Amino acid sequence: MLAGRAPPGAAGRCRRFLAAGLRPLLCGLLPPPCWATARRSAGQWPSPGLRVPEAAEAERLVQQLQRPDVSLRRFIACPRLARTVQRCLQGGAGPGPQPVLLECAPGPGILTRTLLNAGVRVVALENNSAFLPNLQSLENSLDGQLKVIYGDFFRLDPLVSGTVKPPAMCSDKLFETMGVAAVPWRADVPLKVFGILPQRKERVTLWRLLFALYECSSIYRCGRVELNIFISEKEYKVLTAKPGEARAYQALTVLWQVGCEIQLLHMEPWSSFVTNLKNGGLAIPKTRWLPNDHLCLVRLTPQQNLFTGALKPTNSATFIFMVKQCLVKPKSKLTDRLNSWSLDNGGKLLRALEIPKNAQTRNLYPEDYRRLFEVLQNSSVFTETWFHDEVLESIRNINL
Amino acid sequence: MALLGLRAALPGPARLRGGGIPWSVLRTYSSASPKEKAARNAVCERTELLEAVLKARVKQLQASNVPEVMVNKVELAPLGSDKYQDPLGKAVAPGPTEEKPAASGQGEGPAQPSSWVEKLKKEMYIRQLKVEQKLSIAASRPALEGQAKAKPKGKAKDKAKAKVKAKKSQKNQKSAKAKVAAARSHAVSHSVYSPSKPRAVAVKKAAKAQRSQRVPGAKDSNQYKVLQQTILSNLECFLFLQQPEEAERLLLLYHSSPVKRRLLNISAYDVVMRSWARKGHLQRINRLFSMLESVGLRPSLDSYSAALECMGRNQSSPKVIQRCVQQLKKDGFHVDELFQQCLFEEDEKEKVLSAIRIVQPNYQLPPPPKPQTCKASLLPDFYSKEKMVSYPKLDFSVQELQERFQQQLEMELDNTVTIESVESAKPLTPQAIKARKVLATLRSQWHDSILQALQKSKRSMSRLKTASGYNMLYPYLYLLPDEEYVGIMLQILNTLSPQGESLAVLARELGSKVYNRYITQRKLRSRQLEKVQEIYEDYIHLLAKDSQPDEYLPREYWEKLVAEAGFGPSLNLKDCSWPYMLLMRLGMHMLELLVKAVKVPRNILNPRLEPKLIPVLYHIYSFRSSWQVGLIKPHPIFSQIVSDAAETLLTFNSSAIPMLCPPVPWTSPHFGAFVLNDTKLMRFVDGAVQHQMLLEQCPLVNLHPVLDALNQLGNCAWKINQPVLDIIISIFNDKGNEKLDIPPPISEAPRPPAASSNSSTWNKSQKHKFLLCKKKAAEMHSLRMDALYKLSIANYVRDKVFWFPHNMDFRGRTYPCPPYFNHLGNDVTRAILLFAEGKPLGPNGLDWLKIHLINLTGLKKKNALQERLEYANEIMEEILDSADHPLTGRKWWMNTDEPWQALACCMEIARASRSPDPAAYVSHFPVHQDGSCNGLQHYAALGRDLIGAISVNLMPCSVPQDVYSAVAQQVEEFRKKDAEQGVKIARVLQGFISRKVVKQTVMTVVYGVTRYGGRLQMEKRLKETEEFPEEYLWEASHYLVKQVFNGIKEMFSATRDIQTWLTESAKLIAQSGQTVEWVTPLGLPIVQPYYRSRSTVLNCGMQNLSVKTSTTNQKPDTVKQKNAFPPNFIHSLDSTHMMLTALHCLRQGLTFVSVHDCYWTHALTVDVMNQICRQQFVALHSEKILQDLSEFMLEKYCSPGRETRALWQKKLMEQLSNVPRTGEFNLKKVMDSTYFFS
Repeated sequence: MLAGRAPPGAAGRCRRFLAAGLRPLLCGLLPPPCWATARRSAGQWPSPGLRVPEAAEAERLVQQLQRPDVSLRRFIACPRLARTVQRCLQGGAGPGPQPVLLECAPGPGILTRTLLNAGVRVVALENNSAFLPNLQSLENSLDGQLKVIYGDFFRLDPLVSGTVKPPAMCSDKLFETMGVAAVPWRADVPLKVFGILPQRKERVTLWRLLFALYECSSIYRCGRVELNIFISEKEYKVLTAKPGEARAYQALTVLWQVGCEIQLLHMEPWSSFVTNLKNGGLAIPKTRWLPNDHLCLVRLTPQQNLFTGALKPTNSATFIFMVKQCLVKPKSKLTDRLNSWSLDNGGKLLRALEIPKNAQTRNLYPEDYRRLFEVLQNSSVFTETWFHDEVLESIRNINL
Repeated sequence: MALLGLRAALPGPARLRGGGIPWSVLRTYSSASPKEKAARNAVCERTELLEAVLKARVKQLQASNVPEVMVNKVELAPLGSDKYQDPLGKAVAPGPTEEKPAASGQGEGPAQPSSWVEKLKKEMYIRQLKVEQKLSIAASRPALEGQAKAKPKGKAKDKAKAKVKAKKSQKNQKSAKAKVAAARSHAVSHSVYSPSKPRAVAVKKAAKAQRSQRVPGAKDSNQYKVLQQTILSNLECFLFLQQPEEAERLLLLYHSSPVKRRLLNISAYDVVMRSWARKGHLQRINRLFSMLESVGLRPSLDSYSAALECMGRNQSSPKVIQRCVQQLKKDGFHVDELFQQCLFEEDEKEKVLSAIRIVQPNYQLPPPPKPQTCKASLLPDFYSKEKMVSYPKLDFSVQELQERFQQQLEMELDNTVTIESVESAKPLTPQAIKARKVLATLRSQWHDSILQALQKSKRSMSRLKTASGYNMLYPYLYLLPDEEYVGIMLQILNTLSPQGESLAVLARELGSKVYNRYITQRKLRSRQLEKVQEIYEDYIHLLAKDSQPDEYLPREYWEKLVAEAGFGPSLNLKDCSWPYMLLMRLGMHMLELLVKAVKVPRNILNPRLEPKLIPVLYHIYSFRSSWQVGLIKPHPIFSQIVSDAAETLLTFNSSAIPMLCPPVPWTSPHFGAFVLNDTKLMRFVDGAVQHQMLLEQCPLVNLHPVLDALNQLGNCAWKINQPVLDIIISIFNDKGNEKLDIPPPISEAPRPPAASSNSSTWNKSQKHKFLLCKKKAAEMHSLRMDALYKLSIANYVRDKVFWFPHNMDFRGRTYPCPPYFNHLGNDVTRAILLFAEGKPLGPNGLDWLKIHLINLTGLKKKNALQERLEYANEIMEEILDSADHPLTGRKWWMNTDEPWQALACCMEIARASRSPDPAAYVSHFPVHQDGSCNGLQHYAALGRDLIGAISVNLMPCSVPQDVYSAVAQQVEEFRKKDAEQGVKIARVLQGFISRKVVKQTVMTVVYGVTRYGGRLQMEKRLKETEEFPEEYLWEASHYLVKQVFNGIKEMFSATRDIQTWLTESAKLIAQSGQTVEWVTPLGLPIVQPYYRSRSTVLNCGMQNLSVKTSTTNQKPDTVKQKNAFPPNFIHSLDSTHMMLTALHCLRQGLTFVSVHDCYWTHALTVDVMNQICRQQFVALHSEKILQDLSEFMLEKYCSPGRETRALWQKKLMEQLSNVPRTGEFNLKKVMDSTYFFS
């Protein structure tokens, strides 16, 4: 959401925002010129007309990051790609005020400048101090359209106890600094996020985001945060797989499809990105079964009706556990799974849900899993069995 | 060839069709067989089999020999016209021309044979995978299919027809190209697999010559070996079950397919021959001989032994036997070798002998080979007969030992022992009585349902086996009586912990239990046990007090007795280990039966629920980051009943109980330790074969010192310290005591927060608390069970004398075999062990006891022995109070490092000091002498580091040196310098560097701790120091670890060089694709078993199991090979030192046992042991250890015959030859160092 200082004249509209708990982001800024306020309040800033560096220049910047302790990172270096991404991010936006955009790990800032030029308000969350001075001087040259924070989006809310050392940070603190406040789940998207998933942790990150989503914790504490992320094509295939698709249809598929609306915004070949590898290699992850020629820009918008049924943030762990158990062996029969959990009326259940008796777990639609869970939850079968103990244990094991 | 000879020997001229075809022999022979009746009965079967053989033969000939195919074609018209057969045959024919490599390697040409070989390998690997897949498919194929194809005869015909049809359709397509391709691939696979194809071998050899040994022969491939082993063990099962028909059927299944046939080696045929020989079917054996010839295999000695056995059984005519013997000689064997090398079972030997005596009536068994004597340079006098002293006697008569042997034998024959646990002393609650009743009823129900499930699965399998698919598990479910399988499964159910267990672990346990019982059965059946019994009865004369002294070592005496009894090598069982995969598969099958069969009424605890049977065991996945682990967990209802019942009977494998008689001495890597239980000389990870192979290749005489040392350790008799045991049990049965290391019962576990009805509404902290409680309970359970096992076994043997047979790990470190209760255990278990043999304290004994006590307390570590003794005398009052009122007095003993051993020692001192003449007091108490930082001692001695040697007490000194303090001092010096130069972190660390901070890192440096691990250790230590500012943790630990390493480098300069040299050498060796091997100064060959793991997926119904396989031709894991080499090498040295000490202690008549670098003996003999220990250390390090290692490795990895062009080899050679230089420490000084071991 917009987080500029409330312009003095627009009291009526702004009261709504303030009621929603918005707080000013940049204290001590001079009041912006009058002509800007109207557009700003709509989330749109005038273009600052920044120069966007050419690809080669960005690459040079990136290459400075070759210290061995910096893990593999991928950047947008080419202005053309940046424009494409910017258009994708702005596409589909309604007429109302636009939420602030959190850009994760902007690096040399090619996309940042492009976004700023398009009038988007950006918070840049950079985890490498090497890039910070450049971004900070950019921040200083603008009047509040850009905010730079030192931190790592993919190390938000670490589970280890003890003090959190930057760039790891708590989402609470991040949102406070950004001035983003929580809204009810069914409200509009309070925040947009753009980022490229770190390759080595891609899977883990997807799982962690999923847990956060279902528990309404971490970034999802403030509402239905919209993720716009570049993920590898193979993971995209997994997220959007159809029931029955061998190898692609997994627990991750079901859970993301139940939890989010998944939109493919753009596909870009790996070669369009720049890495910080010494040899300038592309480091494309290997794949055996699924195509993997692109990075896919995917928009993940949490479903508004996710928690309207029996599924609640408090019991969602059971749902996740159930789906995972079912899809470990996708060719196994659902009835066998249910029976092995001592859910003795499994047959009746399936009939009620109109699921064929011999259905394999990989043939069930995500929606079926949700219905199955709701029926089981309502009949309180789970709490009667050993199941909830296992769920608790599994949380410990997965939610690392 | 061999077969022709045999055939010629057959009486009767009749030769049915096709004179040149070997199978015709069968007919001929059988018609003239003396056992006509049997032959007539077999006619029907035989025709069936003949068809199969025929088919096999034809196929095989198609693949290998054109002219013969022609001959056959005439007879077997339906197999297709020559027109299309010919090109195929030609492409495949192994003629003298060079067409094959060209055909198969087209693009690559013969110029690149290495890549060609690789391609072959790849292809073969894929094929093997396919075969394995097929097998597993066959294994899982439902029974229905089996019914459809009922009889083998019908099936064979069907198949033949199908083949013909396929051929015809192919013909119609006339796609010559495809056919050529098919033929080519066929040729490729063929050339790799069949060893008889000379040119294939030649090609392979050529490739080998170019690429040295890095390209392992195709035959060594893992998958291939596993399959081969699987088939062999299946055949052996049939031999055991006395089902030669089944064995032959299985053999033919492989023999008849050219692809599968390559899996058969000569031993497979031998097993089938032996099973026929046992039944006296000579004609069958003859046919197998002809089959051998047809595939170009040479009969082995075992083949001839089987044939002769059969002839002996049938009392065949001298002419037949004569021919056979001639043939045997023609193949380069000798009749004597039969009796020297064949491992006869049952009456095989007698029958072979009787056959031989038919033709050579005066034949005498060859004399046993002369015992060889080990000539290890470290044991110059040990084995010389002149200096021989008699073996120390035990305090038992022959009669007593014999009774004990009988007890042990009975226990092992039962396989399991059920004993009362120490908890049985507790009174029974009514609730427990009720729960026990419930459990008993349930168990009998489960017994029946498991039995039913087992029988059902056997039935469905036996239906399946007649179909085309063949279930590999089939024979394994018939080896034991059904009841035994059920018993094994119920046992697993009883011991399953409430937290569950992973499928893989359970499967392995089930599988190996079946295997162990099968081995027992085999030993009984093959009369091996009888022989062992016979020998053992004589053997104990060596040990018993009432027999003549004999100047033999146990091993020598045993070997002598075996030779005298004329048993030859037949005391060893034929190697019949099951492949790991098979063990797992069998286990999985049983586990599945168990999970399906065992059910409990849901309302058993809560009658309000509707009655319904639910499974007791459920299968669930646990997710650990990217891993999924399948678990089997018991239903909480079941766990509840079990815990209510509080049963007090424990069932153990008989090998978990200490032996009740002296162990059978190790005489070879295959034989020793328990009477019946299968024990490995060298422990290894599941599936590893390298160690066993290495031991087998090693000349037995080189292993003698190691075997003798193990025998010496195993021959130490033990008894229980009853007063201490009673005190421990009383605390255990009360509430335990965590401080004294007696785990409290589960009832003492923290309760989870008030269980709110709906756990789904819990918040995070509630969930967290719940989890913590569960975790704590799980830990307590396992600790409690471990202690329960140990104490119960101790209690079971409380009035007995017992022995711990020993074996060793791959570095030669020795371990007692019984896993729970042994002297390697914790303080509690060590405190309840005493030597069974008592010795008077002598003049110094009481002083040694006192010093030992102070050592156990951990006080006065830096003081001289005299000071420790004085301290002990000072606190004599406390000691006596502890001994007299351990639980009610001042409890001085409780505040020591090792409280229970200290208490036991207090009691011993009290008794000794109160006896009228302490010097005459007979003590059973073991006194320990510890090496101070033993790893560094060996390093310092290797490198002759002067400063290092002083700090680890190799130099005589008035007070013990403490290496940790020395390093801490050194580090402090570095820090001061840095602080002066303004290094910030050095200033921060002021006052924080202590012995405690550096100790763990210094200790582990020897064992190859890296900077990374070292830093973590430091961080932990600093965190424990409360005052240390947290924000500097990382930086400070980083700095400290660097300085500790520097400090060690400064003090142990040569040590670090040696470590680096070892690491670098290992790295280069591993990088060249080889594993690091060496030989200890005592002659034990060692190989590091670290490979890049490759896992195979076992397709089982319940879950796919990924099983790690380790094999000979796997690539080594460079990182592990490199990092582990220095510590492993040092361990191989410390184990050598221990063994040398053990052997020399034996010669001086000392009781000696060890816990790695802690040596135990009687108080009387501490002085002697100390002297021997030092002598042997000096002797060991006087050898040119590093020089020898370098030479061995140069020979092994860079011998001149091999390719030397490669850069890696040059580098390796340079590295290996560049042995680090040593310092000027005078090793002899060790002799006078008091605190070297103290």
